[in-house]
Amino acid sequence: MGKYILKRVGYVFLVLVILSILMFLLYNLVPSDRAYSEARESANALPKSTPAEIRKNYQESEYRKLQVKYGTETKNLVVRYLRWIGLFPKASINEQTLEINPTGGEFDGLLQGNFGWSYTQNKPVVDMVKEPMKNTIFINIFATILALGITIPLGIKCAVKRGKPVDKVMQIATIIGYSLPTFIIAILFIWLFVAVLKIFPASGMKTPGSSYTGIVAFFDKMYYLSLPLIVMTFSSLGGMTRYVRASMIEALSMDCIKTARAKGVKEKVVIYSHAWRNALIPIVTLVVGWFLSIFSGSLIIESMFALNGMGKLMIEGLQTQDYEVVLLMQMFYVIISLMGNLLIDIVYGFVDPRVRVNK
Amino acid sequence: MSDNKKKRSSFFGTLGRWFRRAFFGPGRELLDAEKELENLSEEEREERARKMDVEEIVTPFKQYLRGFLEHKLAVGALIIVVCMFLFAFITPLFFPKYSDNYIEVTQQNMRPNMKLMNVPARLKREGIKKIDSYGQFSVGLSNEGNVFVWGDTIVGTTGINVKNIPDSVKEANIIDVAAGFDHIIAIDDKGRIYGWGSNILGQYGKPKNTYSDSIYLPDILPTQTVDPSVIKKLACGYQVSGLLMNDGTLYLWGNGKTCNNLEKIYYMTDGKSNVDDFAFTKNDMVVIIDGKLETAKADRYQTIHAVIGDEGYPLSDYLGDRKIVSAVADSTTVCLMLSDNTICFSGDFPAQSVAIPVLSDGEYFVKICAGDHHYTALSNKGRIYSWGGNILGQCDISEIKGTASDVFAGANQSYVIDGEGSLLAKWGHRGYIFGTDPNGASVFQRIANGGRMTLTIGAVAVVISTVIGIIIGCISGYFGGKVDIFLMRVTEVVSAIPFLPFAMILSAFMGRVAISEDTRIFIIMVILGILTWPGLAHMIRGQVLVTRENEYVTAAKAMGVKERTIAFKHILPNVISIIIVNLTLDFAGCLLTESGLSYLGFGVQLPRPTWGNMLNKANNSTTIQNFWWEWLFPALFLAATTICINMIGDALRDVMDPKSNSEK
Repeated sequence: MGKYILKRVGYVFLVLVILSILMFLLYNLVPSDRAYSEARESANALPKSTPAEIRKNYQESEYRKLQVKYGTETKNLVVRYLRWIGLFPKASINEQTLEINPTGGEFDGLLQGNFGWSYTQNKPVVDMVKEPMKNTIFINIFATILALGITIPLGIKCAVKRGKPVDKVMQIATIIGYSLPTFIIAILFIWLFVAVLKIFPASGMKTPGSSYTGIVAFFDKMYYLSLPLIVMTFSSLGGMTRYVRASMIEALSMDCIKTARAKGVKEKVVIYSHAWRNALIPIVTLVVGWFLSIFSGSLIIESMFALNGMGKLMIEGLQTQDYEVVLLMQMFYVIISLMGNLLIDIVYGFVDPRVRVNK
Repeated sequence: MSDNKKKRSSFFGTLGRWFRRAFFGPGRELLDAEKELENLSEEEREERARKMDVEEIVTPFKQYLRGFLEHKLAVGALIIVVCMFLFAFITPLFFPKYSDNYIEVTQQNMRPNMKLMNVPARLKREGIKKIDSYGQFSVGLSNEGNVFVWGDTIVGTTGINVKNIPDSVKEANIIDVAAGFDHIIAIDDKGRIYGWGSNILGQYGKPKNTYSDSIYLPDILPTQTVDPSVIKKLACGYQVSGLLMNDGTLYLWGNGKTCNNLEKIYYMTDGKSNVDDFAFTKNDMVVIIDGKLETAKADRYQTIHAVIGDEGYPLSDYLGDRKIVSAVADSTTVCLMLSDNTICFSGDFPAQSVAIPVLSDGEYFVKICAGDHHYTALSNKGRIYSWGGNILGQCDISEIKGTASDVFAGANQSYVIDGEGSLLAKWGHRGYIFGTDPNGASVFQRIANGGRMTLTIGAVAVVISTVIGIIIGCISGYFGGKVDIFLMRVTEVVSAIPFLPFAMILSAFMGRVAISEDTRIFIIMVILGILTWPGLAHMIRGQVLVTRENEYVTAAKAMGVKERTIAFKHILPNVISIIIVNLTLDFAGCLLTESGLSYLGFGVQLPRPTWGNMLNKANNSTTIQNFWWEWLFPALFLAATTICINMIGDALRDVMDPKSNSEK
């Protein structure tokens, strides 16, 4: 088992490296030279009486210094990638002679904890991410728990009543559920709860202008988050219910169930004790994967309800062309999805020994 | 060359052969037996089956078909999907005048309504005296002095319904009436002036919150009265109104923001009595003073066109010693009637306008009235002409039975009546079946065109992803070993890419590179295709792995059949059911992703419509709360399509792939 896990971790690491290269290349496709624009800005900020010659020289030297600062003085993408990761030192520059020593600087990359700098907010990306990350995780965990609380009993019920009218209706309802795009569900719910019933606020995280603390603040937040949570839960009902139902049906057709029934065990015990435990295995793996995939799924919800989450941060980054933020977000999503795959693989490995032998 | 050709034909031959096998079974003999069976009656067949004690042999295709037809819901869903495709690809052909960039301010956010041209029966009975309209609703006056309102009568988000005619108006004997964009002005036989509709910007009298850009209804009008016998003309513009008396006194009031020179003309004519005529365009107004055109703005409407599209002449040169008698105006042009009974135009007509008619000798116009983009006129010989913008069919004159004695123009409609006031003919725009969006474009037409875009993107993306999936899956499964390991790692990398964020980044980066919208859309299809294949590749690989170990494949290998032949002839047909099922389900997935992308603003860009970005445009609480038709209809179409495709896919999986199973 240890070897298997090691192997999987190795693969995931490899994939992560490949993806990070891909991301970095993509990021470098964008035609922008921050050092140049900043140098020009600071040259323009010189007093108006400055002669053109001095201004030009000043801009030139500023440009070189900034290039060194951002690590863009070389056209070599390999070096730049390694610098971004933190495996290659930055260059240093002599303030007077402007001579560049290609490896004279410090290591300053992802590995050293430098996750980039947001140029629209003028602060480290890490600081920007903290609050949204907390929100996103909070929303997702809450929605997952809610969805599980509904889908598991529902799926079991459907599996037990398989073929009956209740089940058939549920089958159609769940197809509709997972075919509906999240944003349509969201629009419908906004219309219903905000416009018609006027129960919930349309968007936001807290009452504007309020400064509640403690328990009041929590309830205020929950009040504002209820509609997004309802939408998120609702939009995951269809797929989850179908999955629970399928694995439950498989479990119910096992021989041990027949035996249990033959022994005269109560039907409730058969279902909730014997069958359910067997059905749990695929469900657990699903829950892990689903919980992780929900991060990127909440992009739409966050932008619709103006929630201060990761998705909104990313969309704003794209819109304001703050690409270091976007790059980090992207890496975050990649890592989340890879961790999900790894976790599923490991869980499967524990559960099903054949998987380990095959790979 | 010939060698090449041969190769190609053999490839297609192979393709055809295994398709036939997949659908019609392996041999002729079985088919013949089947035919024989078909000739027998039902009982005989049953008899025979019982005797033989075997099941009836059917080809896989028939088996699939029978299985599929058992799923009633899926059959229904298939019909709906086919209809959707027909709708999206055929309906746009019926709107040759459709344009993505169409903007019509007077038709914004209109409710679904096909009754814009339906003159109320009672008005017809009482005899039509006047019909007027500016944008979304029409107002009519009967010979008995009653006012009628029809069309889309609820004003914007205000909830004001102009159909609620004030009681005082109902009781009075109205002699003239005119409609603006959101208000109606009426005058009764005692000379009292009434107004109703929206008054936020001072359309009739002082509103609750005074608005600095407005000129309010002159004090003498609502309190005292005007002499009804000397009224020359009552007309309304967008949110402005004017009343001209026979002696040349002009009263003006309304929102100065929508009529740029209202204030200037107001001060120019205030206290004087020299105005011959006036007219409102959408953003300006013109007055005729002493036979000359005045706009209080030097360069507006000073170029005259005799026919649409000519270079134009300076107004004073064109007139010579002729004088302007009267003027009517649509949104962008002014039609001037001169003292020698000819007409001329100033301003620009929209594209694809119907030409100004050429009259026969001795014929001249006795009445011209203007809609939003068209003119309808009556000549002294009783003939009717329509010209100007024809995007909504304003100029498609219908047959007129009887002698026309008067014409009226609604916003995009025309009405012809005889001497007794009964309606002889009407033509023009009947309404919008799904309403209009904030640009005034028909939601129905945009849904049809957007559907074409959405479905095309989904289809192309799914084809790309299927092709890649088949190739990678087959190679990986068949050859195994290092190739398999390598390809599976590639698959893993691609499937680890978080889909929505990645597609958004790519799309955003593409926005920075200067490429045409068409290329962009093509790249979106490719991105969607390239990011969705791993699932299918995995499945195909699994199936191929299983099939590869079958005895017949081993036998073929032992017989020395070529590897390629084994791969395509012996193994691929086993995978086809998986492919078809996945094709359907992935198609729905691609539709959803595309609309998700467009919805977030990273897919197809406005103004080109897709179902996703139409919903994006509707995504604000004002629209969601007030203009339900702008999001409900695109949502319905998108949801219906994806739901139906998923249902078909589900049924297909039940039928074709019993192993993965209906139970799942």
